[in-house]
Amino acid sequence: MRRAAVRALCAAAACALLPGAKLQAQALATTPVPASVPPQQVYTIAIASEGTDEIAIVTFGPGGARVQAKVPIGLSATDPDGPHGLAVSPDRQFYYVSTAHGTPYGNFWKLRASDNVIVGRVMLGNFPATAQITPEGHLAFVVNFNLHGDMVPSDVSVVGVDDMVELTRIKTCTMPHGSRLNPQGTKHYSACMMDDLLVEIDVATLAVSRHFMLAKGKEEGMTGAPAAMSSGAAHDMSGHGMTAPAAGDDGCSPTWAQPSADGRMLYVACNKSSDIVQIDVATWKMVRRIPTGAGTYNLAVTKDGTKLIATNKRGQSVSIIHLPSGRELARIATRRRVVHGAAVSPDDKYVFISVEGVGSEPGTLEIIDLATLKTVATVDVGQMAGGIDVLR
Amino acid sequence: MLRSTTAAVLLVLTPLAAGAQAAAQPAPGPEIASLQITPSERTMKARDTMRLRVRALDASGNEVPGAVVRFNRAGGYFEGDVEADGLIRSGSTGTLPVMVSATQPGRRPVVERLEIKMVPGPAHHIDIATPIATLAIGQRMRYTATAYDNGNDKRDDRVLWTSSNPAVVQVSRDGLARAVAPGSAKLIATAGAATREVAVTVPSRRIASLEVSPASADARTGDVIRFTAKPKDASGRAIDGLTPIWSFSPGQGVIGTDGGFVGYEQGTYTITASFGTQTAEATVTLSARDVRRPLEVVGRSARKRFTTEEVWLHPNGKVAYLGSGSGGDLFYTLDISNPANPIVSDSMVLNTRRVNDLMTNAEGTILVNTREGASDRKNGIVISSLADPLHPVKIAEFTEGMTAGVHSAFVYTQPKFGTHVYATNDGTGAFHIIDISDPYKPKQVAEWRSPRPDAGRSLHDVDVQDGLAYLSYWNDGLIILDVGNGIKGGTPSNPVVVSQYKYDLNDLYRQVELAGGPGFIRGTHTAWRHKNYVFIADEVFPSSGVQGAKDASAGRAYGRLQVIDVSDYANPKSVAFYEPEFGGVHNIWIAGDTLYMGAYNAGFRTFDISGELRGDLRAQQREIAHLNTADMEGFVKNSAMTWGVVVRDGLAYVNDMYNGLWIVRMKPKRGITP
Repeated sequence: MRRAAVRALCAAAACALLPGAKLQAQALATTPVPASVPPQQVYTIAIASEGTDEIAIVTFGPGGARVQAKVPIGLSATDPDGPHGLAVSPDRQFYYVSTAHGTPYGNFWKLRASDNVIVGRVMLGNFPATAQITPEGHLAFVVNFNLHGDMVPSDVSVVGVDDMVELTRIKTCTMPHGSRLNPQGTKHYSACMMDDLLVEIDVATLAVSRHFMLAKGKEEGMTGAPAAMSSGAAHDMSGHGMTAPAAGDDGCSPTWAQPSADGRMLYVACNKSSDIVQIDVATWKMVRRIPTGAGTYNLAVTKDGTKLIATNKRGQSVSIIHLPSGRELARIATRRRVVHGAAVSPDDKYVFISVEGVGSEPGTLEIIDLATLKTVATVDVGQMAGGIDVLR
Repeated sequence: MLRSTTAAVLLVLTPLAAGAQAAAQPAPGPEIASLQITPSERTMKARDTMRLRVRALDASGNEVPGAVVRFNRAGGYFEGDVEADGLIRSGSTGTLPVMVSATQPGRRPVVERLEIKMVPGPAHHIDIATPIATLAIGQRMRYTATAYDNGNDKRDDRVLWTSSNPAVVQVSRDGLARAVAPGSAKLIATAGAATREVAVTVPSRRIASLEVSPASADARTGDVIRFTAKPKDASGRAIDGLTPIWSFSPGQGVIGTDGGFVGYEQGTYTITASFGTQTAEATVTLSARDVRRPLEVVGRSARKRFTTEEVWLHPNGKVAYLGSGSGGDLFYTLDISNPANPIVSDSMVLNTRRVNDLMTNAEGTILVNTREGASDRKNGIVISSLADPLHPVKIAEFTEGMTAGVHSAFVYTQPKFGTHVYATNDGTGAFHIIDISDPYKPKQVAEWRSPRPDAGRSLHDVDVQDGLAYLSYWNDGLIILDVGNGIKGGTPSNPVVVSQYKYDLNDLYRQVELAGGPGFIRGTHTAWRHKNYVFIADEVFPSSGVQGAKDASAGRAYGRLQVIDVSDYANPKSVAFYEPEFGGVHNIWIAGDTLYMGAYNAGFRTFDISGELRGDLRAQQREIAHLNTADMEGFVKNSAMTWGVVVRDGLAYVNDMYNGLWIVRMKPKRGITP
């Protein structure tokens, strides 16, 4: 019934702040946390809803969280285009959305942030998903996840975003998933969901430079491109991160690769084993495995380098991890199921979480105060909310 | 700064040492100012290879060291391939856009788009459209020929004609022949090294008289009337084997070389058969087709929470099932025992965000529905028991290999082979056949894919009749498979190709690209077998809407319905068409001589398809009725998006994406009121 009450509070497009929110499940931190206070500035977040072909522009400020605009995206009036990945340009002037569905190819769209007008589009590969723009703002790296096609090696598209042209595709592995650039913009990391691999692309040469085996007990870094794909991970992708592994399955099924704030470490979410592999970029060796909630999926780090945020897709929760110690500070329950993306505010004060929901449930933006480790606001957006980034 | 600079240089020339951290500062040294791409001649033969090379130059024309150059395909996804190093592989004729780029760390890429023209190879063979073998003395006949390369790609060559015996048959370079004396001659068509001959005989008997039959005819617009010409010699004996040139005036219509005529407007037409010096005429008087009928909306069930998808009726005629989309996670069960008052009696909520298609078996014991957008990414099909048709109960699902989603599924029983679901795969474009003879234990028995590279394969809809599956294969047109008919020895577990009808979608919908830009949506969308015809309808949407507009004004559908004559399965041919002035063509239903259509923005429409079909069905006044299925209470207000229709007991159950269910009756023709 509590859930129903919260839903009623948030039934409208706007949702009030939830000071001292009731939604928190476990605060694992032993140190006292301050009480949440309303933000003193307004944040603007963009969230893509794959189920309804729209992007929600949400503001979060002293008055709470509110959907300011719903931006339709896609080509087809009748079939879903499936907006999936979302990335904001470093200068905050534009944002980019990948639409994953197609006949059969998806697209990558450029929208002007000031008025949400589409200013460019380029067709990419099968199921373009996670996207990010290089720090200088000229290139986008978009993984062609190929969720719907056969289990064959796919690639990463490199897009020149000034002209919105696809410059090249770099073949990596089967189902390249959550990907991120290092802060310097010199390396791109993507997780190979069906190959238990992490792949590093050198941005200067636009070629695969190294890869890393992630299965438990088999962790090993290697140079060059993987010689053979499909290295033994189970190929039942049906659950897409929602199916628990069978007993004795040591696979990783990586779903996100996240560099640390200084780029010296890498964190790779192992969705199947529900932990995070930490890799030293210089030595290309594993440092440790950090346990998380069930089905860790997407990751984000604070810019001060102290916190790692992991969405737990199967666990209906978000793990906040203290990076120096590797300790889970809190595991925060979400209102709805199928937790997806995470984006940290530029000032490190909040993390914005997208939650897909199930069936006709709305998607949800859930906002967690990173000081108090509590959810301070939620707002409903379109169904199957996934790609998320902070506009300003 | 020195350290950064050095690192940046190394970034270009050699990969960074593992783990080294250097910000991607703009590369030092000269910037790329232009790309010099060779060869400058960018035409290649279809199915051949070609290598492009590029030099990145600075403003002084010097090559910029360390620039990373890439080639990438920028379109033509079904026509060719581009390797990153500049190797072009042509797959067919057409134009292959190629993006050439040169990058330097931290700098804006320099890009140049070029187009590779892929042309047919040398002429390999020639086809002659009208290889008429007998000409009467004095007869003129235009011969038409087309050249093809060895891959059967059409060439633009002007085919030149000569005669082996001009004393018998003269021919102009363009193929206009004239028989001047009895005898025989060969008309030779030449394009490059390819030649093709037509052996022509000119009988010695001259045409003394000519008759066209019927000499007169009364018909309606849209009726196909077959005229024959009967030339006779002076003794009154028929001269067989001659083909006249047919023409008509005045009015609108078409007449073929076979003498089949269809007129579009009422009035009197003169039909002429010509053998040059001899002509004969016939007269045909066309009255209005007069098939227009009023409509009556009998019942209505508005739905606005989600878009409305497929409608299906239980064989008992008292229950309707209605899918949902745009995030819809259910299908509705409606009690339609009183069509004037359809009542939602139940719904089944599923893990999906779209129930695009649903269908019962013929006995009405099970219902199969498709899923797309499931939150666990498992989609496939769901099978429900209809022990109580008003309250379906899920008994099984099948998702293996179909997790991308299923758009359409057709349930079909063959006594010899059992009951199967014939389903589309959203991800791979494959055609799946699932045995549901035991509905609790569905199992796949076959998977079939159109013979093209994976890229570009998309299957949208399936219709199965008489053991033949009619697949609407988007880029590949209509493909007919034997899945138990036996014409090709096919079975459900071993589907065999019967034939394919493929057409140039890009050419057909040129105006859509002009309106909304390239990259628009178009493909063969649905098919329905009726008599010796397969009716196929395309789904077409522009790639962008009307700038500044929103909701119903922002966009529209396009599309054409084609009537494919499959009397000769091996050679299907398009004989008639319908294209709405505004709107598209989506799903259809045929009952008796009436075709019912959900035409998207063009609403619900019905057509008289009696008799032989030829030409433009709309122009010849075959449309019977039209209903604009818009509603201010709709998912989108006051906007029709008519999806399709199921017809039962004289009632049309019309589903509209934006407006739910309409139950419509066509009333008798209005009497003439003095």
